[in-house]
Amino acid sequence: MLKKKVHIENAVRKLRFNSNEMTQQGLAELVGVSRQTIVAIEKYKYTPSLDLAFKIALAFDREIQEVFFIN
Amino acid sequence: MVYFTFKRIKINSMNIKIRNTLGEIIGAFIALIWMWRNLTEASIMSIESVSKVLAQGIGISIILIIALHIVINILSSIITGKYEKDIDDERDKIYELYALQLSSVIFGISLVITLVLLGWFNLSINTGLIAITFVGFIGSILSLFLKIYLYR
Repeated sequence: MLKKKVHIENAVRKLRFNSNEMTQQGLAELVGVSRQTIVAIEKYKYTPSLDLAFKIALAFDREIQEVFFIN
Repeated sequence: MVYFTFKRIKINSMNIKIRNTLGEIIGAFIALIWMWRNLTEASIMSIESVSKVLAQGIGISIILIIALHIVINILSSIITGKYEKDIDDERDKIYELYALQLSSVIFGISLVITLVLLGWFNLSINTGLIAITFVGFIGSILSLFLKIYLYR
């Protein structure tokens, strides 16, 4: 069961809009990555490292499991 | 005309990484063609001349890649009306690693095949040199295509 590949989803896009409609560029600058990386994360094309995932959660002032989860 | 042409290939929808990678592919490809054209008589050329052409080709590819990076970035800034900063983050490093892995595998396998063929068919050292350099270029171009695929 645990050997199966997990598909990690996220609520970055939703949280961004809830945070005064923060732009992708704004979030990217806040966590120190490029805007393209935020775009890839929102489209589930890229799963961030634990370090970046924590930074994104901190940017929204949320727990990591509220931002990244397995559906 | 330039605007029209670039609009057709949707430069606006490409990110800076894809544009720069495309520039690298074009640069490597032009250098490869230049070397091919200058090595048509490789069988009768001395090893010094062949090495000179190969070294010049590598130099040309480096210069072309830098020049194309500059030109592509200036053109896209003019077309889109904004300057996009190229930031390297963890995603770029991972994709870079995938690309490096692919080019290393291609180069490694091809190097062994070239050496085996050189010994087997008793080919000249010129052929070996050309094959190894070309395989390096082809591996690099394929790894750049992989990067574009990953960035899309």
